[in-house]
Amino acid sequence: MDSIIFEACLNNFHYLLGLILNGLIVGAIYALMAIGLTVIFSVLGIVSFAHGEFYMIGGFVTYFLLENLIDIDIYIPVIGTIATIAMPWYVAILLSGVVTFFLGSIFEQTFLRPMFSGKVERPGEYAILVTFGLAFFLQYLTLAIIGPFPVKADRFVSFDIPKILGQITIASNRIIAASVAVIAIGSTLYYLQRTWTGRALRAVSQDKDAAAVTGINPQRMNRFAFGLGCMLAGMAGATLVQVFSWVFDVGVVASAKSFVIIVLGGMGSVPGALFGGLIIGVVEALGTGCFPDPSRSLAYRDAFGLIIFALILLFRPQGFFGRKL
Amino acid sequence: MIEEKSLKNKLFSLPGLIVAVVLVAAIALPLVISYFNLPPYQIHVFIVGYYFAILASSWALLAGYAGQFSFAHMAFMAIGAYTAGILGQQLGTNVITGIIIGTVMAGFWGFLIGVLCLRLRRTYLALFTIAFSEILRLVLNAERQVTGGPDGMSFNPLVAGTTSNIPPYYIHLALLIGVLIFMYALANSRFGLFWRSIREDEEAAAAMGVHVVRYKVMVFVITAMIAGLAGAVHWHYVSIVTPNDLLIRQMSIVITMAVIGGIESLIAAALGAIVIQYGLEFMRPLGSWRLVVFGLLLMVTLRFFQNGLLYPLLQRLYRRGAEAETVAKRQVASEP
Amino acid sequence: MILELKNIGKHFGGLQVLQNVDLAIEEPQLIGLIGPNGAGKTTLTNIMDGVYKPNEGEVWLKGERVDGKKPYEIARRGFGRTFQVTRAFRRMTVMENMLVPAMALHPGAKKREVMEKAYGVLEFLTIEHLVNEYGRGLSGGQQKLLELGRLLMLDPDIIILDEPFAGVHPKLQETIYEYINKARTEGKAIVLISHDMGSIFALSERLVVLDFGQVIADGHPDEVKTNPAVIEAYLGKDEEEENLA
Repeated sequence: MDSIIFEACLNNFHYLLGLILNGLIVGAIYALMAIGLTVIFSVLGIVSFAHGEFYMIGGFVTYFLLENLIDIDIYIPVIGTIATIAMPWYVAILLSGVVTFFLGSIFEQTFLRPMFSGKVERPGEYAILVTFGLAFFLQYLTLAIIGPFPVKADRFVSFDIPKILGQITIASNRIIAASVAVIAIGSTLYYLQRTWTGRALRAVSQDKDAAAVTGINPQRMNRFAFGLGCMLAGMAGATLVQVFSWVFDVGVVASAKSFVIIVLGGMGSVPGALFGGLIIGVVEALGTGCFPDPSRSLAYRDAFGLIIFALILLFRPQGFFGRKL
Repeated sequence: MIEEKSLKNKLFSLPGLIVAVVLVAAIALPLVISYFNLPPYQIHVFIVGYYFAILASSWALLAGYAGQFSFAHMAFMAIGAYTAGILGQQLGTNVITGIIIGTVMAGFWGFLIGVLCLRLRRTYLALFTIAFSEILRLVLNAERQVTGGPDGMSFNPLVAGTTSNIPPYYIHLALLIGVLIFMYALANSRFGLFWRSIREDEEAAAAMGVHVVRYKVMVFVITAMIAGLAGAVHWHYVSIVTPNDLLIRQMSIVITMAVIGGIESLIAAALGAIVIQYGLEFMRPLGSWRLVVFGLLLMVTLRFFQNGLLYPLLQRLYRRGAEAETVAKRQVASEP
Repeated sequence: MILELKNIGKHFGGLQVLQNVDLAIEEPQLIGLIGPNGAGKTTLTNIMDGVYKPNEGEVWLKGERVDGKKPYEIARRGFGRTFQVTRAFRRMTVMENMLVPAMALHPGAKKREVMEKAYGVLEFLTIEHLVNEYGRGLSGGQQKLLELGRLLMLDPDIIILDEPFAGVHPKLQETIYEYINKARTEGKAIVLISHDMGSIFALSERLVVLDFGQVIADGHPDEVKTNPAVIEAYLGKDEEEENLA
């Protein structure tokens, strides 16, 4: 058995290509999350250790919107009848984004703003600990409300996919997830490059003081950037709740992965996060698909990221798109 | 002008008195519990409390004294515990040898990770250790043949031939006291001085001739070994460990204990651990909500009481003790 | 030869910050290092102290090549510096601040003796009454004095003082003058970086001018004052022109 899989990796082109395609798909979602973390890091200068928890919350919000509010009865006054509509999945994803955006903004305003206005001593350690504390709080809050049992949303859309090159299959839920991720990444990039707020965000990320002089309110930008970052994580979670089973601590591994990606790409670099996400996705897929012992390969999927993490820290701590330290 | 307080002064000052009272109470506790016929479970709560006290205070040494924020403390604990357990189960080594090798193994991994991360800015340590912890948990789950996977791994008993938890109680207590004395001595040596200078300003410390990376790795290895030691001893007592008993979720509890106690004080962090452990038991009927409460308490403490809740209290007591002492001295001096 | 910089070059990305910088300090003397903002003074200090590695050139300290060595190694070889922004250890007492360099340099030293020496230095700096205060409790000027005191505990052969007078109360400035004089009589070389032209000209025996990452003048202050390149570099900058005149 072991050798069959390993040989398939070496000899079977279609198998290998299938792995890579699947890796790119998952990688797109990783990239979405990591871009969120990058937006937070480049504007606020901190890493949010609760990033994975917003991913987790985004997933749960979509799950509950789709499972519990699948039929909404709307009373239409003029006609006097009740119309029943289903919650469309893309609306659920957007709502997940809205919820995580506001949660993130509220947290920024209550716990991070004091740090930037000098009310907190030792801001560096405070930022690490308070976001870690938030992760702790959100995990247990979810556990207390929802319980420890995993849930999984039905596929948003189910359709048959013609086999590419006659051999490779990609599940429809993954295709939907990746498409949403690509759209979200595209919109974010457009937003950062083309809109006034996006440019203001980039200005703040480059030079806070200079930006303040030009009339940008750095405090509002901080709150907005944190909310935006959390929103991207939330939407990443929302797209994946139909792919993976979902529990209260699903965000821990997701956080860890985002950390690997932003370090790989160079902290604060959006293109770095994008390519880092894709690279980690492909490496994991190849690693899992080619690991000699299939019973353990899933567990080791995440270990490959760690090995890459260690290698980057060893040889190129500034990452591949970052400025030199 | 410059006075180093004599040992005698320290012992008889108010804080010294408090330490003595706490110590006597801790030693007498099992006797009290058995005298009043309370359930032995009460002793267990304190054993777990001491275990967490070792972890929280050693994390406080690393984070509060040396300013290095690591989330891998429980991972080192797990390395100590699993190494000891595997040696006992697979090779049949005796308990003491297992504990020693487990401690060394935790230090070895601490050294590797320290050398890797501590050359860089401190965010990298936090980022890497969180990833390391999570992956260690996955590996422990996956390697069923060696670790027992999610079903857990069983240990030889810490003290053979008895089911009483009184011997383990004293072992844990002695370990806690020993570790606290050891760390206290380190913190007051030149190493403590260097660690704090590194915490304050690495670049300035280096310009003063402090070998920053070496001392960072040193404190990292020492605290990793203490965590490994605590893990190896404690899980021998509990007798079975599963990967889910460890790592990130437990790490948040250790951090909460240290922060609420006060990360700049080893004693405060240890007391914080014991108090919170007792609080967690007390609030057991609340189920998961008690951890929600502590998570919120952690954030609020960080925001409004950055020096912790217990540390300022201890400081006030200490100051009162010092004041009483000065008053007494002045009285002596003013007497003709 | 105390310190020698040979043909130093440093760039960050595409930005050339220093180019062909040569500087030899052969004997204990007081050297003023001036130059407009962005001329590369702080970068040069960071290269001497090992924070940056130069892209070209060599740094020699007391006959030993030190470029590429770590800051703590260079500090232990007799190089002391202060920072433009004061960097006292804030959550350590003044005495503990003083102990750090002494204990780092002489691990076996008797704490009692070191403390007495430190106390003497603090007395000289007129901040001995603050000995048990925390660094964060000191005023900006007092923190500067503490930094200078820490430097003496390192007992370096060469001292770089980066803007020692900035934001310091005039009374404390006098103490810093005394400090500089004392260090000179003890045979230390001192490099003084300052925007305060008055003190630079009053104190320096030699003046080095840096502009756009290059040494444009090096010599006795009176010669440098009349050097056309220097005047050009400074002209158009009203305040400094006045100061120079």
